[in-house]
Amino acid sequence: MVVVVTTLHHRRLTTEQLHDLVSGAPTEQAQLTDDHRTSLSARFRAVSSPGHRRLDAWSVEQAGKGGSAFRWAPATARRVLGNGALRRVEATESLSIIDAVRDELADQLLRAASGYARAGSLAYWLASSAHPVLGLVTSEAVNWATQLHEIGQGLPSPWTVATADAYYDVATARTSLRARRDLIVDNDTSRVIVRVRAGAPGKSAGPGLRADLTIETLANHDGVAPARFIGLWPEAGVCLCVDGTMDDLRSGARDLVRTAVAQRRQRTLLAA
Amino acid sequence: MTTVLDSSPLSVVDALRGDRTRRPRNDTTSSAGLRATLDDGIYDIIGAQRLATPVVVRASSLHQHTKTTELSMSSHGRLRGVLVSQILRLLSVGIAIDHAFDDAVAAWRSEVGSSDLLDQLDRLDDDERARLATDLSAHYVALSQALGPIPARWLPRSGVRASQRLAGGSVILRDVVDLMIGTTANDVASVALFDVTTSPLGEGAERTMRFHALVQTLRTSTVPLRTCTFSTATGELWIHDVDYELLARSVDEVLAAVSSLWSSS
Repeated sequence: MVVVVTTLHHRRLTTEQLHDLVSGAPTEQAQLTDDHRTSLSARFRAVSSPGHRRLDAWSVEQAGKGGSAFRWAPATARRVLGNGALRRVEATESLSIIDAVRDELADQLLRAASGYARAGSLAYWLASSAHPVLGLVTSEAVNWATQLHEIGQGLPSPWTVATADAYYDVATARTSLRARRDLIVDNDTSRVIVRVRAGAPGKSAGPGLRADLTIETLANHDGVAPARFIGLWPEAGVCLCVDGTMDDLRSGARDLVRTAVAQRRQRTLLAA
Repeated sequence: MTTVLDSSPLSVVDALRGDRTRRPRNDTTSSAGLRATLDDGIYDIIGAQRLATPVVVRASSLHQHTKTTELSMSSHGRLRGVLVSQILRLLSVGIAIDHAFDDAVAAWRSEVGSSDLLDQLDRLDDDERARLATDLSAHYVALSQALGPIPARWLPRSGVRASQRLAGGSVILRDVVDLMIGTTANDVASVALFDVTTSPLGEGAERTMRFHALVQTLRTSTVPLRTCTFSTATGELWIHDVDYELLARSVDEVLAAVSSLWSSS
C-alpha cells in the first residue's frame, strides 16, 4: 500500500500569518523530470477529446462541469488591469494606484484603436464600452490593485507581480493547462506563488490549489516546484496553501486527469 | 466617540480624516474574541448541528422587524439605493458624471448582467422612470457635494465585499461596504468605512454602521478606525470611532438576527 501525504494549511489572512507562511516555506523542492512529463502526456492522450481541452484549477474544483459562457464585465476585467497597474506602481513609486489603472486602461484602448486587438479581447470590449462602464472597470481594478498591494506590503521577501499566468501545453494531447498566479515571492533559493481569488474557498479549494501548483511546476522550464503555493481569499479573510512536495504534485496531476475524464463523460452524456 | 453633524462639514472626506495625531494603534487582538463570542452565541441558538442551508445575515437582516417595512426596502427605494451606490463607485475614482440616471444604469447593467431588480427597472413605464431619474439626480447632487474629491493616496475602494463563515459554516455574515479608505498595513488604525443610504438616518443605519465595522474586523483581523453613514435624503452624516464596545454591541445584534432568522426558518 502506498501512503500519500499531501499538505494543506488553513490560516486567517493576516499580515503575520502570511509572513509566517512565506518565511516558513519548506526548503526542499521537488522537481518534475522528462519521465514525469511523458507519463502525464500519455494519461491525457488516453482520455480522448473532440476538440482542444483547457483545464485549470476552476475546472478541477467544479469536477469538469462547464459553467456559463465567459463574458467581459468589470469584475472579470479587474485582475488583468489591476495586476498591470500594480506592476506600474512598483516600477514608478510616485504613481498612485488610480493613475496606474488609468494608464493601463489607456494602453488597452490604444491597442484597440491601433487595430491590434482581436474580437473578444479585453481591449476590444473596453473600446466598445460606454464611459460609465469604463468608470466601473476602473473602480474594480483599483480595488484589486489596492488589495494586492496591501498583501504585498505584508510579505517578508522581495516580490513581483506575475507578468502572465502559467501555461503548459501537453504534448500531442490537445490539452492546455493554465495556473493563475498573482504575486511571485523570491526567497534566496526558492519561490513562493501567491494567487488571489474572490469569494470564499469551497470544499474543493485544496485540489484546486494543487492543480495550480502542478501546472506552475510543469510550466517551469527546469520543472522545479515552488516551495509553497498560497491561495488568498481576501473577501473571506482566509488563506490556504500547499507545499511543493512530490506527493502534492502527483495529487494535482491526478486531479487534472480526473477532470479531463469527467469532462469527457459529461460530453458523452450530453451527446446521448 | 460619536459625532453627529447636522450642518454639512467641509466634506465627508475631511470628516473621515479627523485628527491624524489622535488615531489609536492598530488593534489586531479583538477579532479573535469577537469571533469566539459569536461562535458561542450561535451554539446556544442552533446547537452543534451543521446546517445544510446556512443562515445568512446581511446588514438588511438587522433592519427588518416583524410587521415593519421600511420605505427604503420598497422597489423604488431599492432601485434608488443600488443606483446611488453605482454613482458613489464612479465618484470614488474621479469619473465625471454627465447624466446621473443613465450613467448609473449603464454601470449597473455591466456589473450584474441580469437580476430581478434590473428586470423591475426595465418594467417601469416612462412616468415611473422619469420620476426615478429625477429622484436620483437629487440624491446624486447631495452626494457629490458632500463627498468632495477623494485623494488617491487614501486608497479608496468601493463596493468592497466580505463574507464570514461562523460556527463551521452554519451562519454566514455577508456585507458590502460602499466605500472604504485607508489601509490595514499601518501601525495606527486608518481604515474608514463609508456607507451611503437614500433614507433618513435611524436606528437601522446605526446597526448597519456597527455591522460593517464588525465584519471588517473579522475579515482583516484589524479593527477599523471609523465607520460612518451618510444620508443623501437629509444630508446627515453620522460617524462613530470603532472601539470594542461598539463591536460587542454589533455581536449582540447579529446574534439576535440569527435567532430571529433561525426561529422563522
